Amino acid sequence: MSSKESFNQISPSEFFYRNRDLAGFSNPTRSLYTAVREFVENSLDACDHSGVLADVHMSIKAVDKDKPDPKQYILTVKDNGPGIESKHVPLAFGTVLYGSKFGLKQARGMFGLGATMAILYGQITTNRPVIVKSSTDGKIQDEYEMLLDIQKNKPVILKYEKKETKSAGLTVSICLDGDYSKAGSKIRDYVYQTSLITPYATITFDDPKGEKFRYTKIVRSMPPSPTIIRPHPHGIDVETIRRMLLDTHYQIPTVDDSMISKVRKELGLAKKNVDYSQIMKKVEKKWKTLTRPVRVVAAIMSFLKMDFDKLSKIRIEEVDVGNKKLIYWDFGESQSNSVDMDPESPYYKQLTNTVQGETLTSFLTKRFQRVGPTTAVKFVEYAKFKPEQRIGTMTNQELVKLSDALQTFDEFMSPDPSCLAPLGEEPLDKGIERFFEPDFHAVIQRGASAYSGFPFIIEMGIAYGGKISSGKINVFRFANRIPLLYDEGSDVVLKVVNETDWGRYKVKNDSPLVIVSHICSTRVPYKTVGKENVADRPEIERELRLALQFLSRKLSSFMSKKGQADMAKKRANLYSKYIPLIAQFSTELSGKKKEPNYKKMIKEPNVIEEKTE
Amino acid sequence: MKKKQSKKTTKEKQESLIDILKGYGVQAYNDLDKGEFPKFSIPNRSISNIIYDKKLRQYILGSNTSLRSAKNTAQLRSFTQLLWLAFFANKLTKEKKSSTLRDVYYSSQAFAIDFEDQQESDNIIVDLEAVLSRPREDFYVFPEERSSIFGDLTIEYTIPGYEGKKMNLSDHPDGYAIGPSLTSADLVDTSAELVIAIEKGGLFTRFIEEKVDKKFKSIIINTGGQAPRSTRTLLKRLHEELSLPVVILTDGDVYGEHIAMVIKSGSANAAHLRELTVPDAKWVGVWATDIDKYKLPTIPMTESDIKRCYDLQKDPRYQEGIWKKELEVFLKIKRKAELEAFSKYGLTNITDKYLPKKLEEAKSL
Repeated sequence: MSSKESFNQISPSEFFYRNRDLAGFSNPTRSLYTAVREFVENSLDACDHSGVLADVHMSIKAVDKDKPDPKQYILTVKDNGPGIESKHVPLAFGTVLYGSKFGLKQARGMFGLGATMAILYGQITTNRPVIVKSSTDGKIQDEYEMLLDIQKNKPVILKYEKKETKSAGLTVSICLDGDYSKAGSKIRDYVYQTSLITPYATITFDDPKGEKFRYTKIVRSMPPSPTIIRPHPHGIDVETIRRMLLDTHYQIPTVDDSMISKVRKELGLAKKNVDYSQIMKKVEKKWKTLTRPVRVVAAIMSFLKMDFDKLSKIRIEEVDVGNKKLIYWDFGESQSNSVDMDPESPYYKQLTNTVQGETLTSFLTKRFQRVGPTTAVKFVEYAKFKPEQRIGTMTNQELVKLSDALQTFDEFMSPDPSCLAPLGEEPLDKGIERFFEPDFHAVIQRGASAYSGFPFIIEMGIAYGGKISSGKINVFRFANRIPLLYDEGSDVVLKVVNETDWGRYKVKNDSPLVIVSHICSTRVPYKTVGKENVADRPEIERELRLALQFLSRKLSSFMSKKGQADMAKKRANLYSKYIPLIAQFSTELSGKKKEPNYKKMIKEPNVIEEKTE
Repeated sequence: MKKKQSKKTTKEKQESLIDILKGYGVQAYNDLDKGEFPKFSIPNRSISNIIYDKKLRQYILGSNTSLRSAKNTAQLRSFTQLLWLAFFANKLTKEKKSSTLRDVYYSSQAFAIDFEDQQESDNIIVDLEAVLSRPREDFYVFPEERSSIFGDLTIEYTIPGYEGKKMNLSDHPDGYAIGPSLTSADLVDTSAELVIAIEKGGLFTRFIEEKVDKKFKSIIINTGGQAPRSTRTLLKRLHEELSLPVVILTDGDVYGEHIAMVIKSGSANAAHLRELTVPDAKWVGVWATDIDKYKLPTIPMTESDIKRCYDLQKDPRYQEGIWKKELEVFLKIKRKAELEAFSKYGLTNITDKYLPKKLEEAKSL
């Protein structure tokens, strides 16, 4: 907790500014590539969530064409997604750590953090504002020009305009230092591979040299979108559990002016000044319609016996359930006072419940997936807690104990995969067919599996021959529909591919072979912060291996058929080469004058070949 | 003076070979003409089909044969190569043009017969030998000459340009190389009563100098180590056509013993041929027992010598008589002696003392 406080002393923007290497903005080459990724992935995510088949248009233009790299580029990404409501635009693009969501489902980026980082990087290197154009309804478009106040972590709006438009969607444009001559091939690879794993999207890329890369959608239906689900107990750590507790166990709200006006509003007393007893009458009457914080404030008022005016002059210090005392600071008297709480009062229960939170078993069943009442009781026994213990009363040591027990208890059912969004066999298959135009291709989607409480699904495709070039086996790695382009060598997929004995499947090592691997998970176990290579978790490795074996067997049977066809062809070639020689030698050896009539024998193999096909 | 009706034999042999070869050509021609894939039956030369025939006293091929068919793509190439070789052998035999293994390899290139290396063409040559049951010398493929002959033997050439020309093999004191012309010549006349095959050129020269040919009424042949097949053919012809007994003198070691054995009963490598052995040939020395008997200077056997002894002990031909006994003595004393070892007692000791004694001994073998 203390480390968090020291973090808070600098703004998140400042923190990321100082640690931008971590987020992939270490140099102009890598930064340009990362910025492209962040914006494209945000666009694709936004379209996915709103069920729109994405049409993303990305362009990179040099500010001054004739300058040598690295130089300033303008990166613009435009999508046909839902756009962002006007009032959220400044915060979404002008602050770091805005709009974080803690729900658990598969998405490309986590919190939209990277986009802000890209904007920040652009501003640092070029001191130019970000331009955001957003339209949610396809009629009106809000256009913002903003800078980021790094120290205050606040947007500074330079220009704002409302314009008419014809289509909904979001356009973000930044100016940044980049090196396209070095990053270009990676960016093109990225666009190419992204469209392979997103066959329902159209992606266009105008590169600085004037080249246009356009990948139109191959399938017209989007894979079913994932649902947000509660976390699995195995995938939890102390920090997450602490946040969940804060979230559930309602804290005593700060009774400030805005809270008081909220209370007034809910009680229908916004304009009226009434005394304490009248307030409590209203409370009783309207109790059922009151929101939780208002109920808590009302309960406090019942013990304090104060009206709104008086309430605004004190600060609640502690609800001491043990001693049945309510302690507050009186600004007028500049001293701490306390009142006794009557345990018989109906408001007493409300207050203590709020302070202590719900019971452990109820917390477990309500807040986690795969935990029913029976499992919860079993678990509580295993973890050596009391079932009726209130979660609000837990000490830090108890939290650690709880978190450890959640991870080690092995009677939880495996995680719910409904939060995953695999691409699906058909779109993957079509993508592979269109991209590689192979002689043979096959795909498989494995059933859901889990590692450390995180569900995952492996999808894999294999393609052979056709337009694929020989040499080494080409492995395209994807995680949550993002291509992984760097650090190939240490990736678990590569490990599995390399450990495969291809000879067993009648495949030579230099065969024209492509393997497409897609890992979908709520948390992909990346090896490094760069998020480019997946660690070799045994559960994932096993699933990858099984998927590859399945596909290899299919390839193997194709190869045997191909082998037969090749043989027939080869046979025909051999016959037409050797039979005339046999004819020649036998004619000379037997002393005949004319060669035997062997022509029909050379044609025969073709007939055989047609039959086998 | 003995005289044999051998003129006919050589000619007949060649003609029958040409007929056989032609027969294969006709067979392949007719098959093709009928739209069928031609095939040859080839005796199987794998180890499992090599057996020792006690009656013939040599290794022979068993009854297993394999079919080489032009229909089978795995065999199509080698079938074509074999047919080409038959065609080429036919040509060589007709025109009486000698060639070597290497010549055959290069000649093939003129006919688009793609032998990958000489090893492959050599193999096909052995295949043809097996099909015909004839050594390649019969179809004019000869090894490099390294063995020679000396003695009172009159021959008559059959090769083109020398037909009818006669020659006595005691006219030149260095002896005569045993080459294609000599191997194919008719054996006309001899006064000799014995053939002495000797392993080494040095001793061959000594024997001529010491007039062993006259003293022992013999024809002397230098085998130059392991006797080439043309030399073995010649030895066989001398034995069969002129009824001359053959004795063999080698170094006193396990390799010498085996040189004698190969002349006598052939090698497993040539199990497909039956024209190469002289089953009545006698190994007269140097025996392991001679080493002690004649107090010969010796050198120790090497590990490979000893291993060779153990290997030969498994060979059915070494299960009896002097073959078995001498092998055991070699293993016991673990020493060996060369033919030159006799020089310790004077250069002519071997011809004056040792040879007469051994020839006497041979009569009782």
